[in-house]
Amino acid sequence: MEQFLQAIDTQTIIFTLTAVLLPLLAFVLNITMRGRWDKISGWVSTVAILLSCILSGFVFARVWNGHPVHQQLLWFTIGNTQLYAGILLNNLSVLMLLLVSVIALPVHIYSTAYMKDDEHYTRYFAFLSFFCFSMLALVVVDNLFLFYISWELVGFSSYLLIGFWFKRHKAIMANKKAFIMNRIGDMGLLIAIMVLFTQYHTFDITQIFADNGLISRSVMKNGLWVSPTGHLPAIWQYIACGGVFLAVAAKSAQFPLHTWLPDAMEGPTSVSALIHAATMVAAGVFLLGRVYPMFNGTELTILAIIGCFTAFMAATIALTQNDLKRILAYSTISQLGYMVMAMGIGAYASSLFHLVTHSFFKALLFLVAGIVIHQMRHINDDNGLGIDPQDIQHMGGLRKKLPFTFIAAIIGGLALVGLPLTSGYLSKDSILIHAFEWADGKGPLFKLIPVFALLTTWLTAFYVARLIVKVFFGELRLLKNTPGIKLHVSDGSWAYKLPLVLLAAGCLFPLFSANPIEFTRSWLFKGFSPAGGFGAESSAYALLPVLVNSLSLLVIYWAWLIYAKQKAGSLLQRGFLYRLSFNAWYFDEIYNNGIIKPVLALGRFTFWFDRIIINGSVNSLARTGILVSKLSSWFDRNIIDGFLNLLVAIVRAIGNFARKFQNGRVQYYLFSMLVIILSLFILKILV
Amino acid sequence: MNILTLIIFTPLLFGLIIALMPSRWRSSFKYVALLATLVQLAMSIWIYCNFKTGAAFGGINHETQFQFMQKLPWINLDLGAMGKMQIDYFVGIDGMSVSLLVMTSFVLVIAALSSWEIKSNLKGFFILFLILDMAVTGVFCSLDFFMFYIFYELMLLPLYFLIGMWGGAKREYAAIKFFLYTLFGSVFMLLIMVGLYLSVKDPVTGNHTFNMVQMMNPANYEPGSVFSVAAHQTIFGLSARAVGFVVLFVAFAIKVPVVPLHTWLPDAHVEAPTPISIILAGILLKVGGYGIIRVCLSIFPDIASSGAYWLGLLGVISIIYGAFNALAQKDLKRMIAYSSVSHMGFVLLGLASQTAEGISGAVMQMVSHGFLSTMLFFLAGVIYNRVHDRGINHFRGLASVMPNYTAFVIVAFFASLGLPGFSAFIGEIFSLTGAFKSHTVNGLLPYWMAACGSAGILIGAGYFLWTLQRMFFGTVNFKGGTVWQTALVDLNFREKLTLFPLAIMVLALGLMPSLVFYKINDSVLALVQFLQLK
Repeated sequence: MEQFLQAIDTQTIIFTLTAVLLPLLAFVLNITMRGRWDKISGWVSTVAILLSCILSGFVFARVWNGHPVHQQLLWFTIGNTQLYAGILLNNLSVLMLLLVSVIALPVHIYSTAYMKDDEHYTRYFAFLSFFCFSMLALVVVDNLFLFYISWELVGFSSYLLIGFWFKRHKAIMANKKAFIMNRIGDMGLLIAIMVLFTQYHTFDITQIFADNGLISRSVMKNGLWVSPTGHLPAIWQYIACGGVFLAVAAKSAQFPLHTWLPDAMEGPTSVSALIHAATMVAAGVFLLGRVYPMFNGTELTILAIIGCFTAFMAATIALTQNDLKRILAYSTISQLGYMVMAMGIGAYASSLFHLVTHSFFKALLFLVAGIVIHQMRHINDDNGLGIDPQDIQHMGGLRKKLPFTFIAAIIGGLALVGLPLTSGYLSKDSILIHAFEWADGKGPLFKLIPVFALLTTWLTAFYVARLIVKVFFGELRLLKNTPGIKLHVSDGSWAYKLPLVLLAAGCLFPLFSANPIEFTRSWLFKGFSPAGGFGAESSAYALLPVLVNSLSLLVIYWAWLIYAKQKAGSLLQRGFLYRLSFNAWYFDEIYNNGIIKPVLALGRFTFWFDRIIINGSVNSLARTGILVSKLSSWFDRNIIDGFLNLLVAIVRAIGNFARKFQNGRVQYYLFSMLVIILSLFILKILV
Repeated sequence: MNILTLIIFTPLLFGLIIALMPSRWRSSFKYVALLATLVQLAMSIWIYCNFKTGAAFGGINHETQFQFMQKLPWINLDLGAMGKMQIDYFVGIDGMSVSLLVMTSFVLVIAALSSWEIKSNLKGFFILFLILDMAVTGVFCSLDFFMFYIFYELMLLPLYFLIGMWGGAKREYAAIKFFLYTLFGSVFMLLIMVGLYLSVKDPVTGNHTFNMVQMMNPANYEPGSVFSVAAHQTIFGLSARAVGFVVLFVAFAIKVPVVPLHTWLPDAHVEAPTPISIILAGILLKVGGYGIIRVCLSIFPDIASSGAYWLGLLGVISIIYGAFNALAQKDLKRMIAYSSVSHMGFVLLGLASQTAEGISGAVMQMVSHGFLSTMLFFLAGVIYNRVHDRGINHFRGLASVMPNYTAFVIVAFFASLGLPGFSAFIGEIFSLTGAFKSHTVNGLLPYWMAACGSAGILIGAGYFLWTLQRMFFGTVNFKGGTVWQTALVDLNFREKLTLFPLAIMVLALGLMPSLVFYKINDSVLALVQFLQLK
């Protein structure tokens, strides 16, 4: 029996491994065969992800609510530390495994049509497959070291895909920004991992974070963070959590590292649907789920505050944007804020629930946006208008031209607002109710969090309504401004429609719960809640959804009046609040002037320092050397040599003098002898 | 014949062959040089495969645990009352040398391949090239300080001429600066070496000796001698051993290079022809790191521990300072040169930690940087050869014109900025982890050093990505206009042949770090243990 179970587990691991590696295989095939099989490369990647999807389904069915599966192999040894590579399957990882592949599949199908005419079609699919590989690896790996590796690879593949159209200036600025901001998060994660490794001597996720793992047996004592395996000063516990938070903020686009996500919309729209709506940005929340036990109460509260602030801030920005994709991007930031906030208030299950439902409806909305943009670009190219195809101010009335897309947009939009019968209703209301419960019994300031979360819901309702009304209702504004243009617009082939159908199905309640009203009945919520846990029946806030949704409906109606009927007074298009929202709270300007410019200036300063001071001192040392050598050469020539020359001159003078006596005349010799003898005598007489 | 002796002197033999060949055959010199390096590579791979591991092969301070040893009496002079002078021909390797040795022979093959660009005075070039080859190989194999010193100094001479004669516009300045800078370090090293010689006695023969392994054992020091551990002698009022350590460290730090002793490097790298840049960055810098392990840490373990804080600090400063400088560069080669300063800072930080992770990481970082800087300088050479310009702002949109080239650049840049899956990631992350762990293990480095060091990884992403964005992406626009556009053809077969193995190596080491760690682990553990015992 034991052996049989073991064999089953091994099979599960093999399935998982295959599911993860298939996209990598597709990547390798596409990158090596670049230029030769342009036609089929899309299908290579799509088939790979389809198989991954099926395998993930198997794995999910086996592991969900069963016992966790964990197997590993020795990878390498460094010093006395052994590093293992392994796979850890529990509820969280199998859910993510399935989610990623299920969202990736329609995006792949959609891409085969959407990218059809691109000159780098094969490269696109190679990168897309590589992204899927790193994302799938991220969710199943069993230790922090491998987690960090996949974490960075996710960032790297996102870099490649954002800058896929590398000739566009904006795209390459955006991918650089995305990678560097993600690197800030990576640095935080790296520091956190170093702290945990130093404290626990292992990278293994189960050993550290399991229910009775090392973290749960660590305590704070006298300013020390004591664990069964050692101790560190308490501050490092906070730094580790701060590092994890930075990582989460970078990947899941939370304040203060959120500004890369709107810019990342420069990538192909299909990429945005997969990466910047459903999977990569969810990785941050997933990380929180993985390392949840390491946060203490204060840290969780900070998390909740930041999540709530991000949700609110991004929603206010989304109100005034005119770029179709940027609205969706800010909406994503806002929804991710909800998830992080939910983690912060302890609504672990709700957070993950919202992660899953959000993936479906946001991917759907992005694919819808892709179709709209594609059609607008057609109109633009056909008529040579030179407009921005993503600007919703040119759109309108598309519901007649794109009926299928319109229905998908409505479903996605309703789910995003969180109206009943959609999946978004279940998950969002579960977060809101939890938030109110959490604030009960805490100080009045804590009430701000559920209140702002509530406000954000209505803001969401407004910007979603504005978006859909401006795009699909009324008349095509382009036609009004430039009459007589030709329009050949349609929903597109099955490769466009099928993904919409698949994702739209995931936006409705039956996938998650038989009961459209009560989130507690959802299998997904139950899978992450401890038995006998939270029940909505017992909640004092059971009627909250009614209030929320009726107000949401009112807001939607109001927006419809403003933008479709233009009856209600339009919102002010000026004033400080409008400018604040339109300019995204000026974060880009602040970062640019407050951080990037000073850093570059610091770089120039160090280079100046290097050239002038350090190198200058070396050069002046050389110059001093030359100067000294010149001095010594002068000394040598004038003093030492001079002395010698003087000696020579003296000797020569004496010699010359003495030579006068040696002139060879006998008389002269006699005369001189006589003079000498005479002078001797005279001297003798005198002395 | 001993394999190490063979591998050291093979290039000399081929150098002689080139010297004897008539100048008419000048076009075949490069093939002879390439053959020499290939033979060396084959031998080093053989050595790698036959290198035994296990606790009995740790090396470091146990003479018997070294492998492929050869020890012959070389200079034996009877000095009468002063005893006998004993200098041995003593070669042997342990885990610390073996990975660097293989990396060196690999890089030399690449350097030989990139020597195709040299057009003038071929005979001189290749003879000097091969002498340099012999010297660097010799350094990694020598276990006698005298021999080590000779090989160490012998590297300077060919390099001086190679930079000074085949270099760029400011080559004379760069060559002289390089030569004097390094000589400054090694002259004082000579003094310490003699001091060590006079302090240490071979326990078997009773003679003074230059044997480095015997210098590591405190028992071999004559009581009361200048560098004796027990005697606490002073020089100018400072501890003699500390002075010895500092002087040797300065000599090697110039080679590494450690800020603030690095300013020879940008000039030398920028002015040197591509093959010499490759050897400089790929191998010469590692001689510095290797010297710190083999000489500074092993012969002066006591000072290495008490001064670890300062070593670590210099490492962190190098990481950050080099990275900021790289950010400000407008010349591609100069940017790469400063990035080398930053990356070698990790080596120093890892070594200073004296933990198994840190030292393994440092060695890995050296091996990885050997391959990566080779790749980077080769890539910089590719466009310089085509248009004789390297200004980052003079190019735009290279990706459209040279797609294959850009693909290799992306691999090299991302590998260098520490993307997982490539070797530099393993080196950097373990250097940092070791540095962080150091405080709890041996209390040498404070925690903040590793945290600051990781900022280097962030700034690294900054300068590499900025360069990518400015030079390679966007619409095509060159300073030289259409002339450049026609000159900038994509990689040819030889260039691809050169770059491909390098890319494979950095990838292989990133995916299978055990290729290095397995061979070095016993030596690392032996070194850590030795340092703890002091």
